[in-house]
Amino acid sequence: MRKTLRLQRGWGQQIIFLWPALLFFLTIVVTPFILGFYYSSTDWNGLDLNKAVWTGAANWKRIFTNDDKFWESLLFTLRFTIVSVIAANVLALLLAFLLMTTLKTKKVLRTIFFMPNVIGGILLGYIWQFIFTKGFATIGDITGISFFKLPWLGTPSTGFWGLVIVFVWQTAGYMMVIYIAGLAGIPKDLIEAAKIDGARAPQLFKSVYVPLIMPAITICLFLTTSNAFKMFDLNLSLTKGGPGTSTQSLAYNIYAEALINNRYGLGTAKALLFFFAVSIITVTQVWITKRKEVSA
Amino acid sequence: MKRKFAFVIATVCTLIIAGCGNGGNNNSASNGNAVNSGTKTAAPAATAAPAKNVTIKMFQFKVEIAEQLNALAEQYEKETGVKVEVETHGGGEDYGALLKAEIASGSEPEIFNNGGYTALVPYMDRATDLSNEPWAANLIPTSKTPATVDGKLYGMPMNVEGYGLIYNKDLFTKAGITEEPKTLPQLKDAVAKLKAAGITPFEATNEWWSMGIHLVNVGLAHQPDPKKFIEDVKAGKATIKGNPVFEQWLNLVDVIFDNAQDNKMTTDYATQVAEFASGKAAMMLQGNWTQGDIDKINPAMNLGLLPLPISDKEGTILVGVPNNYVVNSKSAHPEEAKAFLNWLVTSETGKKYLTKEFKFIPAETNVEADAADIGQVAVAVQKQSATALGWNWDMFPDGVTQGFGAAMQEYLGGQLNHDQLLEKLDKAVQDIVKQ
Repeated sequence: MRKTLRLQRGWGQQIIFLWPALLFFLTIVVTPFILGFYYSSTDWNGLDLNKAVWTGAANWKRIFTNDDKFWESLLFTLRFTIVSVIAANVLALLLAFLLMTTLKTKKVLRTIFFMPNVIGGILLGYIWQFIFTKGFATIGDITGISFFKLPWLGTPSTGFWGLVIVFVWQTAGYMMVIYIAGLAGIPKDLIEAAKIDGARAPQLFKSVYVPLIMPAITICLFLTTSNAFKMFDLNLSLTKGGPGTSTQSLAYNIYAEALINNRYGLGTAKALLFFFAVSIITVTQVWITKRKEVSA
Repeated sequence: MKRKFAFVIATVCTLIIAGCGNGGNNNSASNGNAVNSGTKTAAPAATAAPAKNVTIKMFQFKVEIAEQLNALAEQYEKETGVKVEVETHGGGEDYGALLKAEIASGSEPEIFNNGGYTALVPYMDRATDLSNEPWAANLIPTSKTPATVDGKLYGMPMNVEGYGLIYNKDLFTKAGITEEPKTLPQLKDAVAKLKAAGITPFEATNEWWSMGIHLVNVGLAHQPDPKKFIEDVKAGKATIKGNPVFEQWLNLVDVIFDNAQDNKMTTDYATQVAEFASGKAAMMLQGNWTQGDIDKINPAMNLGLLPLPISDKEGTILVGVPNNYVVNSKSAHPEEAKAFLNWLVTSETGKKYLTKEFKFIPAETNVEADAADIGQVAVAVQKQSATALGWNWDMFPDGVTQGFGAAMQEYLGGQLNHDQLLEKLDKAVQDIVKQ
């Protein structure tokens, strides 16, 4: 009797403190998500809800049998995710090691490297679009270096690498901070012991540092993978999926389907598929890296 | 259940928006007491004998001319005694939804805006036949198309806009080109002369709308019957690939793309206009809307407009109507509304407002406009409008022109050959049309 009362009191408190956040979460996230299951099987055009006709599996059939652009954009997104996750994490780890040494400017540098993450993606995209199309062109004219003379963002490959560069530049600073926290948590005596045992730098890195910062690696890989897979704002402001549709990410493809082609039903179906894809990929990744975590 | 709930929410939102809109934008020029006392329709009054105590309501969307239109309405009241109540909903507001709400609330404005084609269909039971109005005979031919159904004209074109090849007259003189090139061989000659003089012939852009809408429309407009061709393409009965007109059209596309500036793949609209205005290239495919931006950089520029040719026949510019005025037959005073529209394009005051205040290119060939008011390009558009072809992209559903634009971008970047480009254009239509 007493126990249940305490339990109830606990629940009461939790509900009192939770309800404002819960209310918004339910109305803004959960409800539309559940409604999405319904709309993904209609031909809703985004305007007249009362005219949305139930079409059964037609949208799904279309996606799987007759929508090359969706699969092209999936392929693009996978390529983009693999390249940028590796690049961002390698760069972040390098920066973290660099800033763990006794550099005089390390506090300033940490702030500078973290800064791009504070600026919103849309804004970054427009700034970099200017740098790529105007800045690079000008540098190319002055110096004659062929790298800068490429038609940046004007061809599929420069568009792809342009997106990778900006994404890595934006995320590396954030990941660096997490890695620094991980590195700072490693007990000094373990490293000293390894050194006395005669471990060289590569061995030290492979057998001491990496296993001990595995929790940080798990988090960083999770964040970069899911962010790269969901990349939309950079895509919108930097290339708009162009030239043609060659740099269209999955998120952009969904946006275009719903808001440009006015097929919200089909767009919703794609978005649900997208949700499951992101979930599966990130959960698998976390599960794999989690198993490798050790404690000192 | 879910649908019902969503519908209720949507309705409530619409009502709220409609309510706010009505509060904000009512014209102060008309007094509230101007409501007609009698419900019987006033006898069709000729403009010579003004009917007193009549108010017509104009429900329009162009916010840029809202103030000028109010001033014009006051003038009209002074001259004829008929009050014109102008209500403006545009800019960020959803004009179409507000008009629906207005009519649903039982108010029937005498005059409202409509884009024509498919947008006109829901309003066909309200649209009045304007074919026999005095101004109808003077209209630029292509300006009638959007609001014409079964040979009858159901809307008065608000104004026209047009595009072609805008060219820098000074650079042409420098290259020794004395005559305006009007056919494709002549255009190629001019390009050769410009190149010989060290001038970049074209300033191209990678904007999807410039290529996907304007450039592709050249091929559509040159079809013997553009409307039928587009319907056939949508129904899968005809294809763009293998179409003789589009095969010719490729030559024009190639002349422009092959002789454009080096960084054409990274040139956006603003850059295109800026580079052209600073004399870096001799021609660009654009319309009269660029005038303002060109003037900001070089107001003294000597501009002309060339037709877009696809063969050794003379080319044309392409002229279209952004919007139409429709007279509502279910309103109280349709005849008064017709009289007002007639006055707008025939009276001295109306004509003055049209060109000097609204800065429109008039859709009527007999309304004169001069370059000081509407700009050199606009005057050139009006001069060449009699033979101009029309705008056809509105006959495609949403998303098709974006698909055209993507295909054209790939072609501009050299990723496609002729056949692949035409195939992609076909695919852009089928991607959207096919269920």
